[in-house]
Amino acid sequence: MKKILDWLDERTGWRKVKEVVLDRHVPQGIDWRYTFGSITIFFFVVQVVTGILLAMHYSPSPDHAYDSVKYLSSSVPMGNFLRGLHKWGATGMVVFVSLHLLRVFFMASYKYPREVTWFTGVALFFLVIGFGFTGYLLPWDQKAYWATTVGAKMVEQVPFIGGALSQIMKGGTDLGAITLARFYAIHVLVFPAIALLFLGLHLFLVVWHGISNPPEKNDPLTGQEPDWKQRLKTHYQELKAKGPTFWPDIIFKDTTAAFLVFLALIGMALWKGAQMEDLANPTDTNYNPRPEWYFLSVFQILKYFPGKSETFAIVLLPAIAVLVLVALPFLDRSPKRHFKDRKWLVLAGWMSVLGVVFFTVQGARTPLTNPVVEKDPLITEGKRLFGDLHCVYCHSLNGQGGQVGPALDQVGLRRNRDWLAAHFRNPKKVTPGTKMPNFNLLDSEVEALVAYMSSLGGGTFTPQAPRLFEDNCSSCHKFHGVGEEIATDLSHIGEARDAAYIAAYIKNPTKLNPDGAMQAFDGQLTDAQINDLAQYLYQQGK
Amino acid sequence: MQETNRPSSGPENPRRRTFLVGLISVMGGFITLVLGGSGLFYFLSPAWRGKKEDWVELGPVANLKEDEPVKVDYLQRKSDGWEVIESPDTVWILKSKNDLVAYDPHCTHLGCHYRWDTDKEAFLCPCHGGTFNKQGEVVSGPPPRPLRRFTTKVENGSLFLLPEDKKS
Repeated sequence: MKKILDWLDERTGWRKVKEVVLDRHVPQGIDWRYTFGSITIFFFVVQVVTGILLAMHYSPSPDHAYDSVKYLSSSVPMGNFLRGLHKWGATGMVVFVSLHLLRVFFMASYKYPREVTWFTGVALFFLVIGFGFTGYLLPWDQKAYWATTVGAKMVEQVPFIGGALSQIMKGGTDLGAITLARFYAIHVLVFPAIALLFLGLHLFLVVWHGISNPPEKNDPLTGQEPDWKQRLKTHYQELKAKGPTFWPDIIFKDTTAAFLVFLALIGMALWKGAQMEDLANPTDTNYNPRPEWYFLSVFQILKYFPGKSETFAIVLLPAIAVLVLVALPFLDRSPKRHFKDRKWLVLAGWMSVLGVVFFTVQGARTPLTNPVVEKDPLITEGKRLFGDLHCVYCHSLNGQGGQVGPALDQVGLRRNRDWLAAHFRNPKKVTPGTKMPNFNLLDSEVEALVAYMSSLGGGTFTPQAPRLFEDNCSSCHKFHGVGEEIATDLSHIGEARDAAYIAAYIKNPTKLNPDGAMQAFDGQLTDAQINDLAQYLYQQGK
Repeated sequence: MQETNRPSSGPENPRRRTFLVGLISVMGGFITLVLGGSGLFYFLSPAWRGKKEDWVELGPVANLKEDEPVKVDYLQRKSDGWEVIESPDTVWILKSKNDLVAYDPHCTHLGCHYRWDTDKEAFLCPCHGGTFNKQGEVVSGPPPRPLRRFTTKVENGSLFLLPEDKKS
């Protein structure tokens, strides 16, 4: 064994490397706050491992991205767990890279001779944010689509070159297939390569300069002494000689920290998992776009800048933030590191932290403008399939489509689920002589189509509902050609409001709209009738 | 840095050191096990996931000719990972009085599509002249095995086929 190790040592010099990296002494007082950087690296490793695995079941095209992520979460063993780890790992990375940055800021560890370590760290911080931004487009769900739409619009606000920048980002004028492929390539190829490069540099410098000692009160050096740099170094060597070795003391702290956050990460992955919203839908006017939590502060700040002043918030504020971070070691050059010697800077730091926290909380508490319409995923799936199979070539829906087969507007009332299922499995068996071809549909497809068809015409409202509308509402409201247009035309009400909202409105309009002129129907109609009417308006108003 | 010639074990207690190293190994091992284990399970799972049976309905059995192989074309709709694909394919069906056989349309030699020759009462492969009789047995030429048979079933008078992966 010794021979083999000697052989290796002669060719790799590993004993020297071990001495320099593992057996090096570090100053006393390296406490738990010093583990934030290691935790960030740990998260990076988790992201790389889970990311590579996720890529094995991912297709970066708008046609398949959503389905592939859904498949990976539902049909691949451990897929959902790994996706949960990746999603919450991203959150963990943002949290800990920020904590690490704050630790270095408040302890002034960026000062001489560690300025370049700081620069590479700032670059890594923005890379983490970039990873987050490019990553959450990939599932191609509503959140992904709208967050990126907003992001691209924000880039457009940059003076002069904004339009070009936005198009480079999207790979064209529209958000689509090229954007997704671009984001994917950047997320899995470009950023990891750059991150590894900067991380390597960052870690090399950490070892080269040694871990910075905790700031000391009554630091005698002022930066005016001609030999202060030499004295700083000598002092650091003294502190180091008294301290523990990196292995195993510091590694133990780092491993324990990584272990604890890993337990939390597993907990989040199992408990919260990685939710998916509906498939990205550029025509949806009813969605409430909200960014990931780490962009909520930006989201909130944008509300305070109306009109042209928005450019200030979108371009100038971030630019100032980046500049201040990069220039920090030049702005604050004295060797004094204790917070009592840096009162103004520490105060500014706290203000910034509190500001970001405040705006994030405010952003998270923003009420949703649009009602959240709970959609049955099976119906959504059926609707998609209905389009993919081109059913409207033969059947009409809402007055559009072919006349070969019967119109499907009321099909949910006419046909029960068993009939529909048998019909989709083998149309000729159910209706001999029908022109409808057998599509050889898969069981899951039959199920989805049945769900969608049953939802058409309600299924949940009674045939009396149209009468109820005529008797009670049509003297003011119009609905698909019936009634007067004195009040709002309700023909498309189902696109904006869900049935529960409509029912609540019919019951007591002034509660939801104090300025409205509509009378309350609570008491005039029974609850069952109101719900029937609401379902009718909702289902038929889509 | 000038502190390179320091002895590798500091003045600290060797028992404490062993204790720390033990804890590091346990915690590191746990992380590796969970992350590596779930990742490996995910990656290797195709090995033990069975194939889904995709039956295709070919139509009423009554319509088939008796005692003569018939070529039946069909369109199979099946799931392929997260996609649903439709692939056209074909199969030879031989219906006799008490039996129904479905032949894989590929020659067992190198996978060419053969055809039925009514005069010679044989399946002829155009590539290397392989010949099979009605029962699918090799009559002449290079094919090493008789024709492959697919599983079939009849339900309510309708013929169902279970095409398997093509092997060339």
